[in-house]
Order: sequence, then C-alpha cells, then structure tokens
Amino acid sequence: MRRRPRVLLSTGAALAVLGPLGWFWQDSHLPGTWSVMDMGYTDTGGGAPEAHAHGDGGVDLRTLTADPDRPADVSVTLIARQERFRLASGRTVDGFTLDGTSPGPTIRATVGDLVEVRLVNISVPDGVTIHWHGVDVPGAEDGVAGVTQDAVAQGAEHVYRFVADRPGTYWYHSHQHSAEQVAGGLLGALVVDPSPSPGSAADVLALVHHYGGVATVDGREGDVVVPATPGTRVRVRVVDTDNGPMWVWVGGSPFEVAAVDGTDVHEPSRVRDRALLVAAGGRADLLVTMPEDGSPVRVHLGGRTGVVLSPSGRAPAPVPRPSATVDLLSYGTPAPLGFDPDAPDRRFDYDIDRRPGFLDGRPGLWWTVDGHAYPDGPMFLVSEGDVVRMRIVNTSGERHPMHLHGHHAVVLSRDGVPATGSPWWVDSLDVADGETYEIAFLADNPGVWVDHCHNLPHAEQGLIVHLAYAGVSTPFLIGGPTRNVPE
Amino acid sequence: MRTTYRVLAYLIALEVVVQAAALALAFAGLVHWVDGGGVLDSGVIEGDSDPFPEIVGLIMHGINGGIVVPVLALLLLISSFFARVPRGTVWALVVLGLVVLQVMLGYSLADVPGLGAVHGANALLVFTAAFLAARRARVRRPAADDVAAATADTPV
Repeated sequence: MRRRPRVLLSTGAALAVLGPLGWFWQDSHLPGTWSVMDMGYTDTGGGAPEAHAHGDGGVDLRTLTADPDRPADVSVTLIARQERFRLASGRTVDGFTLDGTSPGPTIRATVGDLVEVRLVNISVPDGVTIHWHGVDVPGAEDGVAGVTQDAVAQGAEHVYRFVADRPGTYWYHSHQHSAEQVAGGLLGALVVDPSPSPGSAADVLALVHHYGGVATVDGREGDVVVPATPGTRVRVRVVDTDNGPMWVWVGGSPFEVAAVDGTDVHEPSRVRDRALLVAAGGRADLLVTMPEDGSPVRVHLGGRTGVVLSPSGRAPAPVPRPSATVDLLSYGTPAPLGFDPDAPDRRFDYDIDRRPGFLDGRPGLWWTVDGHAYPDGPMFLVSEGDVVRMRIVNTSGERHPMHLHGHHAVVLSRDGVPATGSPWWVDSLDVADGETYEIAFLADNPGVWVDHCHNLPHAEQGLIVHLAYAGVSTPFLIGGPTRNVPE
Repeated sequence: MRTTYRVLAYLIALEVVVQAAALALAFAGLVHWVDGGGVLDSGVIEGDSDPFPEIVGLIMHGINGGIVVPVLALLLLISSFFARVPRGTVWALVVLGLVVLQVMLGYSLADVPGLGAVHGANALLVFTAAFLAARRARVRRPAADDVAAATADTPV
C-alpha cells in the first residue's frame, strides 16, 4: 500500500523537473520556413506604428533597385566554387573561391559608377550570395539570403546592380551560411576611388583574413613588402574580414587615420606610436608619410602580419603594439552630420545579453536582444526620412562587432562620454563587454535590413535582428525550397 | 534505479577528471604551439579552425561542461526520485547546484579572470559531492552480513 503513493510522488517530481524543460525545448523549435517580417515583435521606437505591410499595397523589396535602364560602368563576373585551392602564399586551403582565388578579385570603381556584378555558382552546394559590406546599396541588392534574395543555387546566377555613391574601402562576402563561407574565403575587396582621383598618394590594399588559423594579407603570409618612394604618402586600406577585432599600428613613421568604414575622417591629426582598433568587418584607411631618409615603415596588422612599405625592399624590425590608442571618439574635428540627432523620430534600444535556454532544440547559453532570444527579438520599424537614435548596451560577457546593413550610423557617445572629434561614421562598430554606445542614423534607404553581430558564429547563434521600413515587404523566406540560411 | 543513481553519480565524478585532463591537454598544446612560433590573438580565438591539435581538449571541455555534465546532473536528480537512496535527492540537488554554479563560473571567467580560480576549486566540490552521492547508493550486501556485523558489535 505504501509503494503506490511513493511511485506517484516520484513520477510527479520527475515531471515537475522535466515538464518545464520539455516545454522550453519544444517551444524553441524553429519552423522549417519563415519570413523575417513575422519574427519577434515590432518596436516602433516611439514613432508612428504604421501598418507593417505584408505585400498588400506595400512596396515589394524587389523593386528597390538601381536605375534598370542605366548601362553599367563597371562589369564584373564572379564565379563561386567550393574547392581546395592555393593561397598567394602557396598554402593549400579547403574553402571557397571567386574566379579561382581567395580573396576574390578586387573590384575597383570610381565614385558615381554603376557597378554590375554577375555572380555564378559553379560548385557551392549550399548556395551563395554576395553582400556588399559597407555599401548602402538599394534594398533589393543587399545579398542576404532569405531576406533580400534567394540563395544562388549550384548552376544558377544572380546579377547585382548598384551605384557606388561614396568613395572608400569596402568588401564583399557571402551572406548564405556566412559563418562558414566567409571563414572559408568567399570574400573580396571593393574600392571606390574619388573623382577626380587625388593621385598624390600611392594606394595599398591590406585585406586581412585568417585561413585555417593562419593570418594573411591579400592571401599572403608574413610581411607583405610594397615598394614606396621616400617622402611620399601611402594610403593603406585595412580590411578586417575576420570575426575578431584587429589592432593596427605603424612602426617607423607617423600616420593619419584618413577614413573609417568608407567615410573620410574630418581633419585627421597626425599621430605616432598609437594603435587603432579595427572592428571585425570594419575598415580603416591609414595615410602613412614615408620618411625622407628612405627608411622603411611597417604597418602592423594584428601582430602576426603586416605591410612593409620600403624604398629598398629592406624590412624594419617589428615594434611592439603601443599602449596608447587612437580613440575615434575624439579624433579629428567636428563637421556637420546632415541631420539633428537630438531631435530623433525614433529611439531604439539594442541591449545584448545572454541566458541559458534552448535554440531550435539545442541547449546552451544563447544571446538575447532586449531580453528576447532568437527568433523572438525586436523588429525595429522606421519610416523613410526618420532620424533614428539607437542605444547599444552590451552586458553579454563578450565583445560584439555590430553591423547594420544599408546605412551608416554616427557615434554620439560611448559610456556617456559624448563624441568630440570628427563625425565617426560606422557600419561595423566594435562594442566591448560592458560598453554602451549611442549612435544615430538617417533612415534614407528603404528596405528590410538585418542588424547583427559580425562575429559571424554569434549571428548564427541568434545575435541578429532587423530594421524594417514601414510599407516595405519581402517575399523571400528563411529556409524554404532554396534553403536560405543567411548566417 | 539505485544502480542508475550510482552509475550517474560516478559518471559525474569521472567527468570532473576528464574535464581537468582535457584542459591541461589544451594548455600544454597551446604552450607547445607558442614555443614553435604560434601567436594567439582574437583572429585565432574567434576563427573557426584549430591552430593546434590539442585544442580539441578545450572544445571537449566546453561540450562536456556546457551540456553533458548538466544533463547527467539532471538525470541524477530524476533518478533520485525513484532510487530510494538515503537522502539521495538532497545529494543530487547539491550536485546539480554545484554543476550549475560551475557552468556559470565557466561562462563568466573571461569577464572576471579571478573566477577561474573559483571554477577550478569548485570542480573538486563537484567531484566530492558526486562521489559521496555515489557512495550513498552502494548496493547493500545481503542482509545477513549486516546482521552479522551488527551482532558482532553488540555487547554480549
């Protein structure tokens, strides 16, 4: 008689433990196919809650293109393959190539050019896309699988068209299975020259990428030696294509930070013995003045690689990273922003944290945005012309390079300290653990734009939300028959 | 169920040993790799590839500690409801509590490196608690032995 109640009690206790866990597990499963428009909840940021169109009478994202009748000024075909290939350094890597190489070919345009890129997928079974990192392209051209297009399947192709309207250093990479494909080398540089060309400075591209844990500059390992004339100025275009930030410093010469994330710094001052942190996904153009006496200069890129600018071919001794830094919050001098961030139409919070739970049935410690784990995070809703202020707070225990597609935002403050230097325009902002940034941007590019961490495995783990324009909708689906997996 | 409880508890204790070994292996691999000219920076840490083979120890440590051990501790608690181990549920809760603390410490130590020392010390508490829990669930010898022992101790 005593046994029966005991078994019931034991079973009840077991159910009390397992029941909630099972419920959370079940609840975390993602549907096979879904639209980003239906994810999470809408945050209007205090602005008007306009009807969020679902195709009826709204603007279809596919119509947000460059002028279809305008002929291209720059035409490029990129052939994507998954294969074993050889880096410029001679090392063999299993990964992805564009036109047989990784990094892919550097696309060079002059400001105002219409760039047309035909992407052909020869042998990438998961499909590919190209995202134009840092270029505020029209809504249909952003290259995010399942949001702005379907992944380009093996044997298929896709054409991107956009006007390169701002001079600067950019890069491109796949946004389908991006954590895997970007690490594997499906990327390249895009440089937009000003017009007329300044002509005075020599120009060196320094695209940094780790292949299988090996640091490379444009696919080469160790020091990349570039000839330079004494007394001249050299623009070194640094691109961090990895998942972590990179310290950059210069031994043997003073330098200026001429541009950040494809935007010129206003009146940059010349600095010496200072290090600059380039965010993952971010870019910085350093303007180096070669010494008159012909001595070489080393631009250190993250401690293991560098560009050596040398009239003689001789390399200088490496110097340790200076402890002093270039703080972009106070670097350069102020200039007009073009809008008033103190009179915003919308204010959003992007609070990054993490908590234990399930994501698609997998237990773990998952990222949250404003307290919600993927896919329940906020959708930030804006209208065209809105001035938007966003506060990013990172209490997640790790660093996050935050990347908003389709827009450049200006940094207003960090940890309550207002920006006093040149307008610090970013598309990739490194937010360390414990930091708070206030940024602002003008909602001037209708579309549906993801806003995610560019430490791509973090995005894969759910650190991704999106910014949507009222009345704009996308017909594309995550998952679906073309198996769109943007991260 | 008593056997299940005992095996689970011993498995958790064994996992603590595995965790220590895996971490030491990874650290030794790192030292060896740096000796050979390797440089560890965030590009490598955030990268998706293995700079040296012993890093598998670090990956194992993460999977074991983040998933396997918590699942074992949870199963221990559930088995305790059925196992009729004296104070078995209390001990299972102690083990689970220490494991939860251990996981939280593990995820926080990049923030506050000092917590790494607590994480290391708490590992021994997990081991001890799991071991004691397992010992409580020893299969009793046939009753005669107990009786004989008791009889022997009984003052005549």
